[in-house]
Amino acid sequence: MISVENLSINYGEKSVLSSVTLNIPSGTWTCIVGPNGAGKTTLLKALLGMHPYSGSIKVNGVEVFKDMSRNVAFVPQRPEIPLGMTVIEYLALGRSKLDGWGRERRRGRVLIQNTLEETQLVGLQSQLVTQLSGGELQRVLIARAIVQEPEVMLLDEPTSALDLHHQITTLNQVESLKNQGVTIVSTMHDITLGAMYAERMIVMHEGRVLLDGPASNVIHSNELKMAFDHGISVHTLEDGHTVIVANKTRSEII
Amino acid sequence: MTAIFGLVLVLSCLLATSIGPVKLDFLSVLKTLLGQSSGLSDQDRTLLLQIRLPRVALAALVGAALATSGAVYQTVFRNPLADPYLLGAAAGAGLGATLAITGSGKTFTAALPIFAFLGGVLAVLATFLVAGKFFSDPSSLLLSGIAVGSFATAIQTFLQQRNSQVLRPVYSWILGELTVADWQSVKWASIYIFLALAILIRISKLLDGLMLSDEEAFSLGISPNKIRMIAVGAATLATATAVSVSGLIGFVGIVVPHIIRGITKRATNRALLAISLSGAAFLVLADLGARTLISPAELPIGVITAFIGAPFFLFVLRAKRGGIQ
Repeated sequence: MISVENLSINYGEKSVLSSVTLNIPSGTWTCIVGPNGAGKTTLLKALLGMHPYSGSIKVNGVEVFKDMSRNVAFVPQRPEIPLGMTVIEYLALGRSKLDGWGRERRRGRVLIQNTLEETQLVGLQSQLVTQLSGGELQRVLIARAIVQEPEVMLLDEPTSALDLHHQITTLNQVESLKNQGVTIVSTMHDITLGAMYAERMIVMHEGRVLLDGPASNVIHSNELKMAFDHGISVHTLEDGHTVIVANKTRSEII
Repeated sequence: MTAIFGLVLVLSCLLATSIGPVKLDFLSVLKTLLGQSSGLSDQDRTLLLQIRLPRVALAALVGAALATSGAVYQTVFRNPLADPYLLGAAAGAGLGATLAITGSGKTFTAALPIFAFLGGVLAVLATFLVAGKFFSDPSSLLLSGIAVGSFATAIQTFLQQRNSQVLRPVYSWILGELTVADWQSVKWASIYIFLALAILIRISKLLDGLMLSDEEAFSLGISPNKIRMIAVGAATLATATAVSVSGLIGFVGIVVPHIIRGITKRATNRALLAISLSGAAFLVLADLGARTLISPAELPIGVITAFIGAPFFLFVLRAKRGGIQ
């Protein structure tokens, strides 16, 4: 269980998160949505416990700040790409927390091999990370998070660099981790996709939480529309799926 | 692979101790160094053990220190063109050395290495103080390094103008030289340089984390800023020590890491030991060139390294601009 109480974060004079309170049950997938600048990524990074904050963030009852013992994987939207490192070396970094930096253990080796197959990366092991396409890099990032065997996985816009097919395969992989008991928290611009996978959804606007609840309720809520200044509409298809699209105004069409 | 670089270093040292205005037999040198009777005359023995060997040892120490520090700076600042003098160590040491020379009026004083060392360390500390934010904003740290370096150089120039009789010794120190190498300087340089290199090689695996974003590194169990602090501290210790015994020898810290990364096809911090050994071999051979190219006169070693380094530097710049990594 992740519980956040009265969390506030400022960058200099600017308030980025303000009095955020929410609970994320263990083993669930929670999707954070909201317009650009709403504070989604800041909230996600805050859950890592790396940067100073006021208020409280607890994972399983323990305050996260400077608690290095937790195993939380982070998949960034724009990663730093290390020069001169192969895919297999990059994946091995994912074992650093459990096996020690630069150490190689049998369990890690086997897991890396299995993950390469699961994430369809076989054949790319010896390729330099700098030479990967956007989609391949995203799969490698997910694979590195998988070999980390985390309790919590934080993903910042995991599908933004992917084509439609790879969006689904990547999210399916994350879902199978959730089914193994990993708590997933992701930010996503694609609310339709988020609602397909996440049980819970948090709507953010200007550094505050507007709504926090089951995804099926949140996508039909007025708060979601308010967060996007009523610039979106929600449609339910015949098969029961819900699609959220941006409204085109008359002036934009012309 | 690392063993090959070790072998190259040993061969470079043997070559550098054998060749000079007085040629010594290669095998006799090897035998003497191994403690066997070699047939060298007493005079040649003294030349080998008291003049050439300490100089070669000092060149190796300084080369290892500069190459390793350069590689570490490149990883810490995620900048392939970072060099050991980036944070003002060179300008600070230059000012320290100038103060020592102008204070005594002699070419070299016993205090020069200490002044240069303190000048280098203080300049790097000043850079951190001016930047204020430490590593949260690398570009402001680099800009502070430039500002502190320029300020130190301005004071140094002012002192030189006021004491024109010291222009020559200061200039010759700035170009780098190993002519005053003796066992005493080898001894004190080796203490600090070995300590710094041991720390850097020990944490080289953790430096992998600095190649990722800070959040990723943190999620994998390291505090990136703590590792940066240790890495920059140790690299500064090695650099300031190197500068204090040899003056300013440019380009080793850039050229060697790039060449070794190209040969080993490994990330810079993953080839740190190979870079240390190659830096040592590179400077031993550069010093051999400095001693022998216009023998019996000597070229400043900085001229030799810059002669190779400057075109290489331009090549890297052009390749980078063209998007080649």
